[in-house]
Amino acid sequence: MNVSIIPQLVKKDFLLVYRTLLMFALVSLSFIGILPLLHGNIPNWVLINIGFMMLLGPAATCGIVLLMKTNVFEKEKSTQPFIMSLPVSAKEFTQAKLLINLPVFTVFWLVVSAVAFYFAFGLGLFPQGAVPFVTMVFLGIFVAYTCILSVSLLFQSLPMTVLSILIFELGTSAYLWTIAFLDPVAHFVYGPVMVWNTTATTIVTVQVLVAVFAILMTLHIQGTKRDFI
Amino acid sequence: MDLPLAVECKGLTKDYSHFKLQGVDLSFEQGAVMGLVGPNGAGKSTILRLVMGLLGPDAGSIRVLGHAMPDEQIAAKRNIGFISDDMRLYESETIAFHMDFIKSIFDTWDADYADILLRRFDLHKHQKVKGLSHGQRVKATLLLALARRPRLLVFDEPTTGLDPAVRKEVLDEMMNALADETRSILFSSHNTLDIEQISDYITFIYGGRIIESRNKEDFMDGWRRLRLTNMQSKPLPNLPNIKDIQQSGHLCAVTVNEYDESVPAQFNSAGQVITAIERLSLEEIFLANVKCAKAMTMMEFIQ
Repeated sequence: MNVSIIPQLVKKDFLLVYRTLLMFALVSLSFIGILPLLHGNIPNWVLINIGFMMLLGPAATCGIVLLMKTNVFEKEKSTQPFIMSLPVSAKEFTQAKLLINLPVFTVFWLVVSAVAFYFAFGLGLFPQGAVPFVTMVFLGIFVAYTCILSVSLLFQSLPMTVLSILIFELGTSAYLWTIAFLDPVAHFVYGPVMVWNTTATTIVTVQVLVAVFAILMTLHIQGTKRDFI
Repeated sequence: MDLPLAVECKGLTKDYSHFKLQGVDLSFEQGAVMGLVGPNGAGKSTILRLVMGLLGPDAGSIRVLGHAMPDEQIAAKRNIGFISDDMRLYESETIAFHMDFIKSIFDTWDADYADILLRRFDLHKHQKVKGLSHGQRVKATLLLALARRPRLLVFDEPTTGLDPAVRKEVLDEMMNALADETRSILFSSHNTLDIEQISDYITFIYGGRIIESRNKEDFMDGWRRLRLTNMQSKPLPNLPNIKDIQQSGHLCAVTVNEYDESVPAQFNSAGQVITAIERLSLEEIFLANVKCAKAMTMMEFIQ
């Protein structure tokens, strides 16, 4: 009987990285705990900048460390032949890597996004009109992560992964600056009411589609690879 | 019911920019040991990786235990234990971690046998992999491959870099694994003594091609070294199966393949006096084969 070993591979990777995850979770939670203490004691614009760094820093670093440890190092440290000697195909191997990396980053990203939205709009640091733009910012970060994850899975190369981090980090900043100055977005950012016009919804839809496409394309390419070691 | 062959490769070709595996035909039945011997870069590891489904062939077909590779690799690998010299375990984890992991995948995992192997190999479950010596790592990997009780073991240079004592332990355990007559081994080694010791079949590979593939007795029996005295410096008979000639004054050593009783007679009738006919060790055959294959490659290149 050919039962898939994907659950065992995911569990193995989780056991390999859970200490690291715990550490990043603790750092994230500490930072989230510190932010309310800063609120009211420092100027809002300083809190926004520091808060952005404190929330995104650990989450993004955790995502990158995780894909390095579970994927890139598998190849670099020659543990991949050991795994590929087991009853698993290249496609299943990739599915297992996605199933450990994507949910972990998504949880971090969702928590960080929720906290950021609470501070930005719950505490009134930003006007309601900035909701679409902040949504695009956080979705942009998620899209950049899925693209880096795809490159990492497709190439399993440290230089390629580092290069992709650099490109997508710079690319995401450039992209966010661009949409920030798009009139249909910029016009409402400082307004008191959130406006989901066609431009905003199109941008968000495209972001979601790019993330989904990156994952599906990775699975497809990995499934067609005939040499996988 | 007839058992499928352990391994059956037909016309296997794999093209790299720097190397080409060409038309490899290789097969042996279940219960047998096939040893691959050849110099570095001959294509031994490529063949083993094709057999494991880790690489896809450009042409030809591979069946392992009746499964077409690489398409049916998941089913095939349930019954294969693979070790290669570039395979590593997770350094930060213990042997027990790896045993639990493999146990969770294979319902054929034999916990009693694993414990026996731990004792026999003098390994401790709670040792971290990063603290193991090279020999201990090979033994830990072997334990993980054997205790799942696979029907086929595929080993790529399993004894490379091991001291003689550990090498013997590894070879002994490989032989023990064959106690059940349906288990098979396909392995490559630079160490011709290992191949000679445990193989039923020997395949010699050079430059991506199979030069010879036969059962061990025929393989070893086909080679002889004739020591000749050639007092009158007469020319040697022009036999196609002469693989090497070493001349020193009137003394001459001729290495031949496909030896039969007619060979000495042909030397005698050419005026040579045969002083001794010696059998060759696998190492000597290996060296003669490499020398001959190199010369053939050079000839092809010139032509």
